[in-house]
Amino acid sequence: MSTLVRQTGIMIRVNLLSLPRRLAISLSMALSIALVVCVLAGFLALAKGFESALAGAGSPMVAVILGGGAQQENGSDIPPDIIRSLEATTGDIGAVRNSAGRLVSSREVIVAVDVDMVGDDAVRTIAVRGMDAAGASMRDQIAVSEGRLFTPGAREIVVGDQLATTLGLTVGQSVRLGAVDWMVVGRFSAHGSAFESEVWADLDAVRAGFDRQNTVQSLRLRLMDPAGLTRLQARLSTLGTVPLVAMTEADLYAAQSGRTARLIRLFAWPLALLMAIGATAGALNTMMSSVSDRTVEIATVRALGFQRFAAFVGTWVEAMCLAAVGVALGLVVSWLGFNGWQASTIGANNARLSFQLSVTSDVAIVAGLLGLAIGALGGLIPAFVATRLPLTAALRARG
Amino acid sequence: MTEAQDIYIQLESVSKAYRVAGQTLPIFSGLDLAIPKGDFVAVMGPSGSGKSTLLNMLAGIDRPDAGRVRIGTHSLDQMGEAARGSWRAHHMGIVFQFYNLLPMLNAAENVELPLLLKPLSARERRVRVERVLDLVGLAGRERQYPGMMSGGQQQRVGIARAIVADPGLLLCDEPTGDLDRASADDILEMLQTLNQVLGKTILMVTHDPQAARCAKRTLHLDKGVFVEEARAAE
Repeated sequence: MSTLVRQTGIMIRVNLLSLPRRLAISLSMALSIALVVCVLAGFLALAKGFESALAGAGSPMVAVILGGGAQQENGSDIPPDIIRSLEATTGDIGAVRNSAGRLVSSREVIVAVDVDMVGDDAVRTIAVRGMDAAGASMRDQIAVSEGRLFTPGAREIVVGDQLATTLGLTVGQSVRLGAVDWMVVGRFSAHGSAFESEVWADLDAVRAGFDRQNTVQSLRLRLMDPAGLTRLQARLSTLGTVPLVAMTEADLYAAQSGRTARLIRLFAWPLALLMAIGATAGALNTMMSSVSDRTVEIATVRALGFQRFAAFVGTWVEAMCLAAVGVALGLVVSWLGFNGWQASTIGANNARLSFQLSVTSDVAIVAGLLGLAIGALGGLIPAFVATRLPLTAALRARG
Repeated sequence: MTEAQDIYIQLESVSKAYRVAGQTLPIFSGLDLAIPKGDFVAVMGPSGSGKSTLLNMLAGIDRPDAGRVRIGTHSLDQMGEAARGSWRAHHMGIVFQFYNLLPMLNAAENVELPLLLKPLSARERRVRVERVLDLVGLAGRERQYPGMMSGGQQQRVGIARAIVADPGLLLCDEPTGDLDRASADDILEMLQTLNQVLGKTILMVTHDPQAARCAKRTLHLDKGVFVEEARAAE
């Protein structure tokens, strides 16, 4: 082992062992870094949870056709003759057909409905989706967690697990949506995706119940392969003058989540960086205090022949260790406090979208790196000061 | 006067001044000093006479504005800071008034510090540390921390640290200044042993006339000039 490594090692050890002498100020540095990490991790978990909820809802193998120039289901309208023309096509249009040669598709409408919360004066807006019988099976990772799916033509609904929990809906319960009562016949799970914030029912029942006769907002088709979307888009361009847009379900939800997630991050980063500047100033103050506290020790070993580099690294590593403690503390607190925390916002269909905050590994890494950067920057100047201490102090100072 | 070939420490026309509050404060103006190898010199003088500055220059911690500082074959005034640090690690030990032990390291670890600068194995370092602690009468106290020791014991650790790398020169800055009489006498006796038995050249700055009497020579420094020299009776 080189002498420089040994010098550096002993300086690091001496610094860390002397931490109890500066316990209060060292803890304050770690805590301020923990706070920054916690706040940033919280916001990033919010954005990540929102993205996950929508990303989990979209399949790259399902195409969504929208009409009227809309880029999302809300505001979209597909004329019935277009749907009939599409269903009448033969040959390869990129979409899967069943054994009878018919397209595997689901016509859908989505209605924002106000619901009175149980035991509360608040009114909550939820999304009721009307779909064809194939609609549920076209969604990946959907499982009926209780009861059964709705019967075509009946005023029956199945409710996403998150929404059912929030509203306190149980299977067998009757609930008034709009002007009519609906029977809850089942609950479904969608791995926490945005679908769990929806109520599903038969298309015709929804159109009748909410006066949306003949309306179709989106048409879902299962794609044969990833390139099937291009063939489908080519075929849609031949179906008359109505502007139609086809995209994968994954792209539809990614577009919806992107804007909100960007907004959250746009708010999170400036706030976290402002706090980080304050924490860096605190770290600088702490480490300057540490250098001042160790003046005699640093000057003594330098007088014995230790190099400046050892004094620099020793101080810098101390700052990084305190930052690491702050990062660990911040991540543990944010994980315990935020991970899995239920949140909701207004989604693209003007209905409430529930999701869970998610402190994922990439959230932890980003927030953790910011915390370590605070320690690295805050420790830099004091480490440099440590190398410039006058050695004459060692000869006269009381150790 | 000592023969030129025996001279171990030599200051030639050394000048040094400090700037204090915009004023130039001269410490030395053409100071000369010659100390042969194996000598034990005490330097006395009132506060502000330049004792500490002299010690700092001999330790390579401070540099003269003009003149030469030579120790052995090394001209400290010609060396850069890193070279002076390396020279200190290999050729000189310092004994501090307030011991300057690192409180979070035990006695053995404090003594080991100068050896970390040498290419020695852990076993070699441990053997050397045990040997010098035994030499200063602290065998069996290797694991004790400075806070658990008396002032005299701490200074023994300080001396062990100063000699563990087997330097030719010991610089002692008021080594008994913080000790009671009995402990001070022990330390002075130890320094005499190091000088007489191990042949260490020792330069000791002190205010204590009794301490100075243990040295072979006493130099009196006043206003940056050696004004008197006294030799110990044989």
